Amino acid sequence: METVINDYVSRELVQDQALLPLADDTSLLETGVLDSLSLLRLVVFLEERFRIGVGDADLLPDNFASVNAICAYVRAREAQKQEATHG
Amino acid sequence: MGDGRAARLLRSAEGVAYWGVVAPVLARMPAALGYRIACWRGDRLYRSHASKRANTERHLRLFLGGGLGRVAARQAARDWFRFASCEAVDVARLRHRARPLRRLVKIEGREHLEAALADGKGAILCCAHFGSYNSALSVLHASGVPVTTIGRWQHKYTAGMSAFERRFWDWVVARRVRRHRQRPMIEPWPGRVEVAALAASALRANEVVTISIDAPPLDSDKARAVDVRFLGHQARLMPGIVTLARLTGAPVLMCSVYRSADYRHQVLEISDPVPMAGDTATAFGRCVAGVSAAIRRSPASWVYWPSPLDLDNLGMLSPGPDIAPARVPALVAVGA
Repeated sequence: METVINDYVSRELVQDQALLPLADDTSLLETGVLDSLSLLRLVVFLEERFRIGVGDADLLPDNFASVNAICAYVRAREAQKQEATHG
Repeated sequence: MGDGRAARLLRSAEGVAYWGVVAPVLARMPAALGYRIACWRGDRLYRSHASKRANTERHLRLFLGGGLGRVAARQAARDWFRFASCEAVDVARLRHRARPLRRLVKIEGREHLEAALADGKGAILCCAHFGSYNSALSVLHASGVPVTTIGRWQHKYTAGMSAFERRFWDWVVARRVRRHRQRPMIEPWPGRVEVAALAASALRANEVVTISIDAPPLDSDKARAVDVRFLGHQARLMPGIVTLARLTGAPVLMCSVYRSADYRHQVLEISDPVPMAGDTATAFGRCVAGVSAAIRRSPASWVYWPSPLDLDNLGMLSPGPDIAPARVPALVAVGA
């Protein structure tokens, strides 16, 4: 998962080539990688790629602060989805 | 009245009294009388606020000079002050589920909006700081269309305003408008990275999101602004509306509100969808052209005319082959 998300962020969202290769713990907010529209792009990607729903309440900077944070968030959402599926 | 500190304080106090006390009284009068009195107040401000009047007339001629002579510019500037006074009455008529204002605002092109919403992807209304847009969008919401707005309240970022003034404008304007929105205002402050995703969430729920594309970019956003032709001049605006439309599949419709010659009736016009084909600059250029056309049709309705600071932030006052390099002191443009 880290590789998939890191690849997407590096390919589609990073404007400053000096940030590449992107470390999984690099702050996407402090480095300016994520702004309002790039976060929307990322959310659309996560929803399509991992088949999860990202709710309004989940749109917190902490959930998207780095590749590691995004992976932790996606895993938590996947676990919630499985729990819901299995009752 | 001059532009010294005492004059500014007096005008500020008059603005508070007008918006807080007088306009709510005018809103309870028969509309013909209430709006006529509002126009009298506008005329008085036009005569007394020399620098604002001069800036308005100068900018009107600077940007619309080809189609606007000296007399027409003077007339449009006077109307600018009248419209600003009438807007306070519009906002005060938003009580009782906006019924008092709904009687005065006709919505044209609603069928375009309904056709857009039939596809289930929501719709984006491309607006400008033009006319009584906040009140008119409130009427649209009150008529059954779920409206959410992306925008910043001016009283939250205007420099030099006291905490009392900020609370006052929030109470007298923002509170009344907020009641007529589906979701809380989505405010794009620096660091609020969730703005576009919140807007997308509203669109996925098949709601309507409004964006005013003529807002001067904040310093933190200037790097993402693009050069466009606006009112025949170069300007720097934020093209986020195009990206939002492409990522969500929501159609973009132009939306403008025009005040009639009797000053009390208004028409909210909604266009059919704007094509989003081509690169971002091309698609955004169509939206900007729509706003330019609305301003040329009703020059007095654009709120930024008196403010050199806002026009400068829009990149429109930069020295160039067709723009005079004159700079004048900044004005505070709230509660005119």
